This record gives sequence, C-alpha cells and structure tokens, in this order.
Amino acid sequence: MSSTLADNLNLDTRRRFLGMSAAFFSAIGAAMMVIPIFQYLWPRQESAGEGGARSMKFPAGEVPIGDAKFIRFLNKPAVVIRPNEQELVALSVVCTHLGCVVKWDEKSNELRCPCHGARFDTSGTVLGGPAPAPLPSFSARIEDEYIIIEEV
Amino acid sequence: MELETLELGPLKIRNKLAIRLFSAVDDRLGVKEILQDEMFEKIVPAHLTFWACFGGISFFIFICQIVTGALLMIYYEPSIMKAHSSVARIMNDVPFGWLIRGVHAWGSNLMIITILIHMTKIFVTGIYKAPRELNWVVGVTLFLLTLGMSFTGYLLPWTQLAYWATVVGTETPAAMPVVGEHLRYFLRGGEDIGQITLTRFFAIHVMILPLILASIVGLHLVQIRRQGISGPM
Repeated sequence: MSSTLADNLNLDTRRRFLGMSAAFFSAIGAAMMVIPIFQYLWPRQESAGEGGARSMKFPAGEVPIGDAKFIRFLNKPAVVIRPNEQELVALSVVCTHLGCVVKWDEKSNELRCPCHGARFDTSGTVLGGPAPAPLPSFSARIEDEYIIIEEV
Repeated sequence: MELETLELGPLKIRNKLAIRLFSAVDDRLGVKEILQDEMFEKIVPAHLTFWACFGGISFFIFICQIVTGALLMIYYEPSIMKAHSSVARIMNDVPFGWLIRGVHAWGSNLMIITILIHMTKIFVTGIYKAPRELNWVVGVTLFLLTLGMSFTGYLLPWTQLAYWATVVGTETPAAMPVVGEHLRYFLRGGEDIGQITLTRFFAIHVMILPLILASIVGLHLVQIRRQGISGPM
C-alpha cells in the first residue's frame, strides 16, 4: 500500500513533533538560565570558614592554668582547657543536643550550654541536661611551651 | 469524568496526571475559561505594529530587574565600608556575578529607553485620549517611579561616580524655594551623604519602590484589559 500525500502531511504528528521540539529547546534554555543562577548562589570556598587545618599550635601562655581558650579547629568552634597543672584537654564546643556553642563556667569548672542547659565536665562527659552524647575530644599536648592540638 | 485529551488553545495535553492536576484547579476556579478568553483566543488587533510592543518590553525588563536585583541582594552589603568591596566581589569572584550585575545595570538603562519609546508612541498616536487618560496618568507615575529606582540604585555601588551623582541629585531639589533645603535633608537623612543615606537609598531601592511599582504596574495592566486596545489611527 502506497502512502498518500495526506498521510505524509499528517498535521497532528507534525504539530506533536514541533511541540516536543519546542519543549526540548525550552528545557535547554531554562537549564542555561538555572545552572548559572545555581552556581551564583552556591557558597564559595572562601566563605566556608577558617581553621580547616588538621592540627594547630600556639604558645602555652595563651591558656593560663585554670582557664580556657576558645579556638576554631576543623572548621568548628572548640575549646582548650587547663583545669589544673597536669591536665590539658581540647574539646569540641558544639553541643551534642542541638548544636549551640557551650560556654565555659569557671566557677563550677563545667561547660554549660546556654540553649537548653546541658552540662559537661572538662573531659566532655555529660553531667546533666538533654545532651545525648559527650563532647568529642581532640588530642592535646604541651611541647616546648607550645600547645599542640591534633585530630584523634 | 476523565478527559482523554485536554485542549487549551493550541495545546493538546494527553498526560493523565497533568489533566487531573489542571482539572482539580479548574473545577474550583474556572481557570480554563480565563485562559481561553484572555490568552489563547484573545484576538490581537490587526493594526498593531512593532511600536506597540514597547510597553510589554518594559514590563519584561522590569521582571528581569526584579530577578537580577534579588540575586544581587544575596551578596551586596549596604554599608559604606563594604558596599564597594561587595560589588567588586560580585563582579570578580562570584560565578556569573558579572552577568547578573551586568544585566541589572544595562537593564536599568534599557528600561528607561523602552519606557520613553513606549510613551512617545502613546503620545504621538494620541492613545492617551479619552477614555484612556487615567492610564496615561498611571503610566507617567510609573515612569517617575522608574526614575526613582534609577536614582536610588545608582548610589549603591558606593563609587566616586555614585557618590557625587547623589550629591548633585540631592542638591538639585534644594534649589526649590521654601521646601528645598528640607527635601535635601530628608533625602540624605542628614546634612551629608553617608551611611544613613546609603541605608535609606537601599531600603527605597529594594523594598519601597519595587512594591509600589509592581502594584501600579498591575493597575496599568488591569486598565488596559478593561479598556481594550485602542483602534487604528
């Protein structure tokens, strides 16, 4: 059976083809707009924060005995505490409950979360409040009057 | 009742989900009727020429300005210490920042040009005459608001050009008798141009004028639809 001219000029099929083509090229056009906008909005590396190093070193004099120093380590806030002559601890200060930054309370020798009242001792162990886990700790040591903190 | 195909003007929708979603909205709001009457079967008068497009072109640029402006606000910092460096950062560091700001800056110039062409066309062909006088008034208001957008936006990069243009621009109304000096004081937010000026120009540019402008654009379009396109000359 030979196809007639009318079959070859099937308008419905043509319209469908044109419609699909229009949709396809519109999708490419939309992608060409959306992708640059997405790249524009995506945060740059520079704004990710300081303190990405895997270890850090600073003079021991910056943390007197019985005191604490807040630092930025592994891109997160952390603290170095010297509760007494012998001890030296480095802890993450991101509360394990909902991520607030815990504060150092000198009088009670505890770390307290201002958001929901979680309490931690100087080794990061939970003393009370809603925190489900202890604060992660880092290795800390004194070498030639310098405090060195490293990821465990 | 399930439709096999949904015909919307030139569109034939066969996708079941799309038909059901559309019908769900249509059953409640009668959208199909509005789309048919106002979009797909709306007859454009044969006498319209290319010159009738400039209102629509201005509207299109206005939409572009809103989109690019919102994107620029992501990185722009409206403080005299950081305004210039944040704009430099948009231009040099942020991917496609140059493009977004370029479209915004060029768009602002283009919008003034297309509005002027639009107004000239309306004026020369006498379309502003009865019953469309009110829409001419609304249109002129839109033009003045657009100039306000240009004026307030020009200060934001906090360059020498921007600063001194604003000095001159706020000095000009001060020449008016009686109210002039007060107007200058009000525009600048003080005797000199400083942080307060930048902050208030920023607020006017990104919030106050766009809201007013967008609502009056709506009024402009409603009037056009209500009165229809004017007849041939």
